[in-house]
Amino acid sequence: MGAKRDMALLVGDNPFHHISHWSQERAKARGDKLKDPEYAADLISISVDNGANGFMFSVSETTLSILRVLHERGEIGRLTFYAIVPYAFEYVRLANKLGGVPGLAKKFAKEIVLSGNLWAASRGLKGVLCADLASIMKAYLSYEISRITSSGGKKANLQSVMLHELITDMALAFNLDWLFKAYIDFMLKCTVTPGFNTGNFAFLVKKFREWNIDLKKITVAAPFNKVGFQMIPSKTECEKALESFHEPIVIAISILAAGYLQPIEAIDYITSLPNIRGVAVGVSREKHARETFSLINERLALCK
Amino acid sequence: MSGEKLRVVVVGLGKMGLLHSGILNVLEGVEVVALCDKSALVRRFSKRVFKRAVVTADVEKLRGLDLNAVFVTTPIQSHFPVVKSIFASKLTFNVFVEKTLAASYGEAEKLCELARARGSVNMVGYMRRFAVTFRKAKELLAGRILGDLISFRAYAYSSDFLSNATGTGASAFRGGVLSDLGCHVIDLALWFFDEFHVDLAEVGSTNAEGSDDHVFFRVSNSDGFGGEFDVSWCMADYRLPDVGFLIVGSKGVMKVNDDKVELRMKNGKSHSWFRHDLDDNVSFWLGGPEYFREDECFVKALKEGKGAEPSFYTASKVDQVIDEVKRRAGLDGR
Repeated sequence: MGAKRDMALLVGDNPFHHISHWSQERAKARGDKLKDPEYAADLISISVDNGANGFMFSVSETTLSILRVLHERGEIGRLTFYAIVPYAFEYVRLANKLGGVPGLAKKFAKEIVLSGNLWAASRGLKGVLCADLASIMKAYLSYEISRITSSGGKKANLQSVMLHELITDMALAFNLDWLFKAYIDFMLKCTVTPGFNTGNFAFLVKKFREWNIDLKKITVAAPFNKVGFQMIPSKTECEKALESFHEPIVIAISILAAGYLQPIEAIDYITSLPNIRGVAVGVSREKHARETFSLINERLALCK
Repeated sequence: MSGEKLRVVVVGLGKMGLLHSGILNVLEGVEVVALCDKSALVRRFSKRVFKRAVVTADVEKLRGLDLNAVFVTTPIQSHFPVVKSIFASKLTFNVFVEKTLAASYGEAEKLCELARARGSVNMVGYMRRFAVTFRKAKELLAGRILGDLISFRAYAYSSDFLSNATGTGASAFRGGVLSDLGCHVIDLALWFFDEFHVDLAEVGSTNAEGSDDHVFFRVSNSDGFGGEFDVSWCMADYRLPDVGFLIVGSKGVMKVNDDKVELRMKNGKSHSWFRHDLDDNVSFWLGGPEYFREDECFVKALKEGKGAEPSFYTASKVDQVIDEVKRRAGLDGR
């Protein structure tokens, strides 16, 4: 039992976006230092020195700046990357400011055209003209991948592109099996592992099996923590779904339950679970970066 | 209605319309049979996504669908004409409306009257009533844990229009800061403390002359209990909107927001509850657990033929306070 293999130990990007699922007060208290891409890159480097081997991030100007710093410092090859798209918060905020979905669509179309990615622009145009969501999705993914590679350079090892939980869970709610399948096919053609960030892990597993989606080809990022925080519908159901796999596909997120748990108890719970491919943990200070990943490695070593 | 699937239509497919459609689609015993939106582009895509649902631009065209309920998630300014036309065409009398109920108290009163005359199940989307922290606060207040209430301070902050380059158009589209953000904290205050009247109100503009970006107001009731509200969507570092209260009583103080409830009692005891401690999980996660609980509550009321809260009548009181604040601040003529 337990996830002891070569796990992906990922630095999460929530602190760099001023996100704390514990409280907004805590996020604000962290101060402006985390907004500096140089400092964020320092934290990632310290994490890597202490055992981290990857970076999970929502694709935004903030995180792309961090990738650029890592690239300039020649450190990009030390990590694998798990990118989450779209950065839903930014798009929802923009939709609010621009007067809803149509305003957002116009702004986004303009950005793709200005990016010079002709393949994405033509796909996107076709998608709009034919009301073809799959084409629009492919255009969008192509655009986002090109942003990542142009920031991280050729040595950036993009392991997985994951659909943000808002999109994954909305598509699950609407039973859009064809959209999931189109996404998986497209990502596999790009030689990138298709991934899904979800708040409904047990539901996703059930649905994907119903739709004959090969779970071995994908990665899923979902909350797993000792207190069952955000494990929907329950800790028991999520653990059962996890046990039903034959190999690790899951990146555990929210393992500290947003700071509610002590790192040692959080990590011990994760190492007791089967089929965990990796974990993602955000770090906001040098000490935190050193201690968190050292501790994860230490506890994993005990499991071997 | 028991045994059969409830047939529901969603009018307005912006982000809230999509969110409610998604939740309704996974709720047991519910079927989204139709969608309605004015935008041709949105309708074209909706037809691809909702292959079994009727997609139309006009509420009138929903006749004959044998509907059990309508969710109205259009911009606030259109709530009154849309709900009125739903009642007039007798599509169904069971209506859920996203907050606020209407653009003015006058319109809200008319909708309450229509709903009352038809005996409908109705509800308004003040989802923070379904957040575990605010529920805990309500339970503690109902148990008089703070003793006699003395005063409160309430806030609702976001960074949505901090350094807004789009001018007043987008903020007006959302109905202004009071209707868009302040309504949540007003609704919670009415839920916690019952009725009050507005004594003073001030409005400030950040983005452009005439835009209502910050609102401060004081309220009190006939017992002398009162409090103040501070509402702004131009605050720095509010990645998500934040709503909260500091409530002072004869026995202690309570702080509550979306993340936690804290009690500091005069006898030296204190206690904090985080979302983690308050059984925050639901059957399906979309946008946050509050939305699922809210829709589940409305659907349960429909199935049982009982009233749901916050009803039109309850929510109309929020519109009344908003109108009063605007009048006090000299905004009612705009």
